[in-house]
Amino acid sequence: MTGLNEVGFVALSGALLAVGLFGVLTRRNFVLILVAIEIAMNAAILNFVYFAAFAPTVAGGLSGQSIAVVLVGFAATEVAVGLAIVLALNRSKGTINVAEATELKL
Amino acid sequence: MSLEEAAFLLLAVVAVVTALASLLARELVHTIMWIAVFFVDLAMIYFLLNAAFLGVLQLGVYAGAVTVLLLFGIMVTRKRIFSREAATGIGPAPVALALLTFIFVVASIGELPGGELAPQTISPAALSSTLFSVDGPWVLILGIIMLTSVSGAIYLVREGRE
Repeated sequence: MTGLNEVGFVALSGALLAVGLFGVLTRRNFVLILVAIEIAMNAAILNFVYFAAFAPTVAGGLSGQSIAVVLVGFAATEVAVGLAIVLALNRSKGTINVAEATELKL
Repeated sequence: MSLEEAAFLLLAVVAVVTALASLLARELVHTIMWIAVFFVDLAMIYFLLNAAFLGVLQLGVYAGAVTVLLLFGIMVTRKRIFSREAATGIGPAPVALALLTFIFVVASIGELPGGELAPQTISPAALSSTLFSVDGPWVLILGIIMLTSVSGAIYLVREGRE
């Protein structure tokens, strides 16, 4: 297999990071902010997988992919905690708009 | 242009378009639909890179679990799940910051070693033996963080905490 150069991959992960950042900065709904964080996290994981696939040694490729596996676990954990915060916010304020969450105590 | 390049270009365009569509959709359920397509699309990119284990993991954890979890979050916080979001204005500052990030990342391409290589195939067997020997500490740390965050999540949503 030939012809997968790094320019496209780095540009794609840069674009996904930019989209995620845009979402975190502009959306007010907590679930949408979680989705935006997931998009940015996937950009990072894509970079790990890409550079693992083109690592000069097999050991380098293996550790790159295992970091990507651990990162997928971290992302799933983050969604679980984020949704717990969504539920607690919804219970105490009756909304999941982050503009309403003005105090740290839920 | 080779077949792999064409496939990657198509998948990359679909990834960026679905990511944007998920953030700009007016209905929250449509957001989840778009993000599911985005996760499946990224899994296809991993298969293209010969990373079969990560592709399957992406399909199982992201397209499966995270999507359902987000849908569940919408379901329990809304009376009608198809209700629309109020349109929020998009100022110039977030767009400019996002563009700046993109330019900053793309500007680093010149520092990479160039050349077109074939992706190496990493077998799931070798990956799993690395995960539980050389990279074992990472898996342990992941386990500890998952345990603490699950107890934190249970603390946040438990009944009668006022």
